[in-house]
Amino acid sequence: MTAPPLNKGPHDVGGEAADAVDTLDHGMAFWEKQANGLRSVLSARRITRTDELRRAAEDLGDRYSQLAYFERTTMALRTVLLEKGLITEVELKAKMDEIRARFNVPDEMESPLIQAAQK
Amino acid sequence: MTDTKFDYYAQKKHAHDHGDHDHAADAHAAIEEPREGPPSEFEIMSRAMQELLEAKGVITAEQVRARMEQFEEDLPYRGSRVVARAWVDPDFKQRLLADGKAACTEFGIDLEADRLIAVENTPEVHNVIVCTLCSCYPRSLLGMPPTWYKSRNYRSRVVFEPRAVLREFGTVLPDNVTVRVHDSNADMRYVVIPMRPAGTEGWDEEKLAELLTRDTLVGVTTPGVAR
Repeated sequence: MTAPPLNKGPHDVGGEAADAVDTLDHGMAFWEKQANGLRSVLSARRITRTDELRRAAEDLGDRYSQLAYFERTTMALRTVLLEKGLITEVELKAKMDEIRARFNVPDEMESPLIQAAQK
Repeated sequence: MTDTKFDYYAQKKHAHDHGDHDHAADAHAAIEEPREGPPSEFEIMSRAMQELLEAKGVITAEQVRARMEQFEEDLPYRGSRVVARAWVDPDFKQRLLADGKAACTEFGIDLEADRLIAVENTPEVHNVIVCTLCSCYPRSLLGMPPTWYKSRNYRSRVVFEPRAVLREFGTVLPDNVTVRVHDSNADMRYVVIPMRPAGTEGWDEEKLAELLTRDTLVGVTTPGVAR
């Protein structure tokens, strides 16, 4: 077995040893369908590109393997929308606060997402 | 402002405010599942991004809803129709093998990637599709990929021990069959043309399409008819 290249990203898993495949399709939660719809509309309208979203996901580093698929894609979309100036961090935080309040969800300061956003 | 008929949060708020669960009685708004617990940080973030982009006029809620509906009701059923045509029409099969993207336009399907490569199973060769780097998949033919297609275990292993992975799907291939694994990418997608099983002589395309499940078109299973 040759050593992996030093610049191998967290997404580059082809050829690695792994466990048995869970062959059941667990489907998608509603929010995942909505997140997928959003991403698909942005892609169809050429506002975002597959490759830039992919790059943003691959840049997640160690967090890549900790996050579920649509958690990764959501973080990647956030990165790309901020880079493109389509939204700002201030706007996003305010809107997230508003939605949390709408659903009476506490703003958990220990949330890894919030900590990442503040870095 | 989003259309409450299609807006999940607005619906939930409505149900909460009115103490009922009588959501809009519109079949097109049926993409809804019961949830447990409050929305996660990621769900809140995703929704926030959508609402901001709506407010800025970049997209509309209706566009997102329409795409969600298409992913549920249309895209997953296209691939089986295309490949069933290839089974009954040798000329179409040749066009599909020569240029998959162009052949799909005969069905009014605009493929999302630059290329679609159709790979044909034969008694000598079995084909399997993966995207080791992420989740590239012929979505305009098959809809969203299943959970396992995106899983680390499938992506890691199918490229070096495909027979073992196929066995986990209940597919056992004779040793003399060559297994080819095709790694998709953002610009290039694959679809498998399975072997038409014996016992389907005279079947029409619609009936054949029912044999062509998602798993057969990815190549983790093979179609068969009960004897």
